[in-house]
Amino acid sequence: MPDLSLIVVLVIALALVFDFTNGFHDTANAMATPIATGAMKPKVAVGVAALLNLVGAFLSTEVARTISGGIIAEGENGVLITPELIFAGLIGATVWNLITWLRGLPSSSSHALFGGLIGAAIIGIGTNAVDFTVVGAKVVLPALIAPLIAGVIALLATKLAYAITRREAGRPDGRGGFRSAQIFSSSLVALAHGTNDAQKTMGVITLTLIAGGFQAVGSGPAFWVIAVCALAIALGTYTGGWRIIRTMGTGLTEVKPAQGFAAETSTAATILASSHLGFALSTTQVASGSVIGSGLGRRGATVRWGMAGRISLGWMLTLPASAIMGAFAAGLTTLGPIGIVLDALIGGLVIVVLFRWSRRNRVTHNTMLNDIDDAGRVVKITKTPRRQKRADRKTRKEMAL
Amino acid sequence: MIDWFAFGIVAGASLVAAMVVVGLYSLGLRLLTTGGRIPLVDPAEFTGAITVLTRKRAAKAAKRTRKAAAANPLTDRQKRAAIGAGYACFVLCACAGLYGVYLVVPALHG
Repeated sequence: MPDLSLIVVLVIALALVFDFTNGFHDTANAMATPIATGAMKPKVAVGVAALLNLVGAFLSTEVARTISGGIIAEGENGVLITPELIFAGLIGATVWNLITWLRGLPSSSSHALFGGLIGAAIIGIGTNAVDFTVVGAKVVLPALIAPLIAGVIALLATKLAYAITRREAGRPDGRGGFRSAQIFSSSLVALAHGTNDAQKTMGVITLTLIAGGFQAVGSGPAFWVIAVCALAIALGTYTGGWRIIRTMGTGLTEVKPAQGFAAETSTAATILASSHLGFALSTTQVASGSVIGSGLGRRGATVRWGMAGRISLGWMLTLPASAIMGAFAAGLTTLGPIGIVLDALIGGLVIVVLFRWSRRNRVTHNTMLNDIDDAGRVVKITKTPRRQKRADRKTRKEMAL
Repeated sequence: MIDWFAFGIVAGASLVAAMVVVGLYSLGLRLLTTGGRIPLVDPAEFTGAITVLTRKRAAKAAKRTRKAAAANPLTDRQKRAAIGAGYACFVLCACAGLYGVYLVVPALHG
């Protein structure tokens, strides 16, 4: 068994930092809606989200296997990917994540991760290093389809919820009761987040261990890897939550309890089903798709296409852009040890900047909550005028008589 | 090879799961409302909300609720049945959610 080389330790450390920032960035996905509709107190919501991310990470390892065993052809017959290249890929992903976060661009940390790894592998080894069919089938297509599926489901679920609790002849509809339901649905989203996002880091660490010769080709993540990744994402979620609490009231989209419940149920169902089949999708994008879909399920909803276009552009850009970053970092590693030191320096600088930035008190909605909030603003709800409502009620009354 | 079948499974399973959970919960709320136990959420319970009801609006809603409950055409027995069925829906909804989680955890079944 080879020594636990410095580069492997570096990769694991960097992967865990990436995992932490993922949780940090994504607390909003699960908890923005219940906090916005008042279903949960912020402190409770953040604690629950962290705990369920921890639990979720232990539940399934399908997604981790997709990453460690599929995307980059490693092993005897394939090409040997080196820990140095994984390191470069991670640097690329982290840098792109930071840029999009600071600029308030919608992006997905998962796609940044894949992009970085793919770019690094192409530069370091060549295009035959990447199993493009697996990339297409398990990363790109799910990325395009999953938000769409979640959106359609959320639309139908919202319509169903509103249809069943239809107001009758001026009597209360009891829709306030959906607030209590959101406590459960948002917890499910947090759990689903753990089953998908924590897995990605596990996959990367396992890939490194396989590449370094510590683990058999094709084996799943070791227990300590699962535990460490689960802890990192939970810690990130908890820490990130405090930022959300500070941003409260800076302009969240109006989400009705029934709508929020439907959106979250669709998000959780889609992510859980995908995790089970090993699709590594972006939880942010699925949540955004659901929020848009559920908005469209409401009365008087129209789409702001410009906003929707901006969001999807950000989504499309992530994979190639982070691939370029990863490729650049991989190019540096070909210089030998100096290149790795350079990469590490750049990576370290990026992380320092990230934390300096996050500790600043100047939190705008651009730097936090951006993805889901933007998604919510894609749908414009025209309020039903009061006179119209009264007329509706009257017709319904007459029909009942 | 693109596994379209797997996409179909994800879409189908998610759709069924979301519809069952949302449908059951909505039905539960509907039954509670029909039975006269209208879930009125007190703003004091949800202090984190962005749009907190004012005291006046909350009182108005409570009054409307009482009035609606008093004007309920159902007999006491029907009301009890509706409320019971409503709670049964909530329980079923929770079971459906837990079953979904059970299904995706490989460690819990073979």
